Amino acid sequence: MKKKDNQALAAYLGLVIPGLAVYLVIVAYPILYSLWLSLTDFNPNRGGSWSFVGLLQYRTMLRDPAFWHALKNNLVVVAVSVFGQIPIGFALAYILFRKLVRAGIFYQSMVFFPNFLSTIVIGTLWKRLFQADGPVARLLQLLSGNPNAQFDLMLRAETVMYPIGFALIWMYTGLYMVVFLANMQKLDLNLIEAAKIDGANEPQIFFRLIVPLLSGTVLVSTTLAIAGSLRGFDLIFAMTTQGLVRMNAEVLPIFMYRTAFQDYSNPMRFAYGSAISNVIVFISMALILLSNYVGRKLRAGEEH
Amino acid sequence: MKKAALLLAGLLLLSAAVVLTAAPKVVVKTMAYGDNSNPEGVNWLRIVAAFEKANPDIDIDFELLYDEAYHQKVVARLAAGDAPHLAYMGADARWGAPWKEASQQFDHKPFMDSKYYDLKLIPPMGPKGEIWEIPLGTSNITTVLYMNQKLVKSLGFTAPKTYQDIVAMVPAAKAKGLDVISIDGADGWAWGSCLMSSIIARMSGDPNWVSKAVAGKNKFTDKVFVDSLDFIARMIKDGVIASKSVMVDYGANLSNFSNEKALFMIQGQWIAGSIENPEVADNTVMMAWPKLPGEKAATAGSVAAAISVGYGVTKAGAADPKVRDAALKFLQYFYSHEETTQRLRDGAIVAPVLKNFVVPDDLPGLVKQKVGLAQKAKNTEVIDAFLSGAPNDTLNAGMQKIASGQATAQQVAAEVEALMRR
Repeated sequence: MKKKDNQALAAYLGLVIPGLAVYLVIVAYPILYSLWLSLTDFNPNRGGSWSFVGLLQYRTMLRDPAFWHALKNNLVVVAVSVFGQIPIGFALAYILFRKLVRAGIFYQSMVFFPNFLSTIVIGTLWKRLFQADGPVARLLQLLSGNPNAQFDLMLRAETVMYPIGFALIWMYTGLYMVVFLANMQKLDLNLIEAAKIDGANEPQIFFRLIVPLLSGTVLVSTTLAIAGSLRGFDLIFAMTTQGLVRMNAEVLPIFMYRTAFQDYSNPMRFAYGSAISNVIVFISMALILLSNYVGRKLRAGEEH
Repeated sequence: MKKAALLLAGLLLLSAAVVLTAAPKVVVKTMAYGDNSNPEGVNWLRIVAAFEKANPDIDIDFELLYDEAYHQKVVARLAAGDAPHLAYMGADARWGAPWKEASQQFDHKPFMDSKYYDLKLIPPMGPKGEIWEIPLGTSNITTVLYMNQKLVKSLGFTAPKTYQDIVAMVPAAKAKGLDVISIDGADGWAWGSCLMSSIIARMSGDPNWVSKAVAGKNKFTDKVFVDSLDFIARMIKDGVIASKSVMVDYGANLSNFSNEKALFMIQGQWIAGSIENPEVADNTVMMAWPKLPGEKAATAGSVAAAISVGYGVTKAGAADPKVRDAALKFLQYFYSHEETTQRLRDGAIVAPVLKNFVVPDDLPGLVKQKVGLAQKAKNTEVIDAFLSGAPNDTLNAGMQKIASGQATAQQVAAEVEALMRR
């Protein structure tokens, strides 16, 4: 019996240790290193010397209006993802699944199409659309009859996230649509037939049958959307030009990049950047835990 | 069979001998500036290929990056301790800061052949007169006013001598659906480097007002700076610059001017070679800003100019004498009279820093104008050569806010001053 236990332990360790080692080196070490970095004044360009400064970087961050502005923008992006991309993706998937439109494959391809393009290409495309006398401005001039009309929402901090939110929905909704469609295709069609026989109409089938059955998928998608939104950098960076517009649209990853990589007036900028990145991870985890909690409360979980 | 085996063994021995006796190549890890489609990048590729052919014992192992990608990579490589041996760099707050912070600046002065380089044309870059990089050319003028002479004439005007002369052109330009002055106002840096640098020098009469402000001798809340910022609002109000300019990027600005949608364009001297419409290029006049209201005589007619960027050996490159010598040899090749002439023709530089350089007679008109401007106009400081980080970002965005009516000059000045002294 003892020999058997030893063999099992050896097998267990043999299987777990390689994976654990890779995880520790690739995932855990950078996280711990980043946490340590954020408690120091370390700047790799100063020859490796450092001092422990406690929570100074976090205190600085909490007093920095740029942080709160970036956080607000990031929460808008999270909201757009969770309450925009996911519901729209779900609804579109349902329309295709139930064959409520003709040429479903065409619409499916069109909605998913942005996922085939480079984010930088998409960002540049939207930037061009919104530029002075660009296509959107021309449309406004045509509709308003004012030849000087311009699309200036990107210039103002209060409105910059509207066009960005629109672009985010355009780009990522297709991904969630495909995820939901794939899961809908696994559903037992007899359930829908039974509901129809019981007299359920289309909205009732959607809200009382499909949505509860796919609540687990919704939860996973929400987690992905939150994590993706908080570390999202490329699309917003590409859509904005360095200066006022990028400052208006700054989200936490861009704030972190600007601080750590560009702000030479702050000699502790690498440590400050680490503190910002740690806060991104912390907020991301908190929101994911919250969404899981809400999911459980709503009795989330696929039931078949 | 035996013969074949012997032959094979012989070949193997020969190959081993070749490998063992061949001198190892000196590898110069380089960060170059440009992309595969612009003259800088295309010329770089050509020069490296020719140099390596002529010097088979040297390998210029380069990474070619442009614009923001270059700046990002510099920071990342230096932070990772992967400093290149040779790099495109500057000596100011924008182009020189990462190298300075990483202690990678290397003094080229003792290694520069004074018979080859005209050291009088290369300004000191360090506190002891060090030369951190070999500038591509003489000072880099950032505040050029490009005028489409033909278009201005077609509206019945001549080259403006005062700001009011430009204001007088506004109604006629508007009637034709033209902008008066185009600027890539979506780029925050353009307001600082290409416009405000000139205004503050003109208004204060002090060519060194910016460095004094950075050093704390002047304040950004001083009346002269607030008035200079306010001048942007006046230009918008007068219709000289359109408020929509804040949404015009670098490419669109150039395109507007090249396609005769604007009478004037604000940009640096480096853009002269990029005006693609030959008719417009032939009719373009490069000028300093005309007399501004309230400007001081001491800086009348001045242009803002910074030390030109160029290539420099880093401390990492200088650590190994073989690498350092190979890099310096390459630099001599890169700064040859032929390549410098090409750079002049491309409009990339104002004037060379080489001794005994003979300026060809057949240079394009714009290039000749550029040399003339550099010789005539007094040079003043460029803001972002001294101001960096959050204060500079805030100033640039602040000028965009002033132009789009979202902030006053006083608000922006106060914000910059607060960040500067934090």
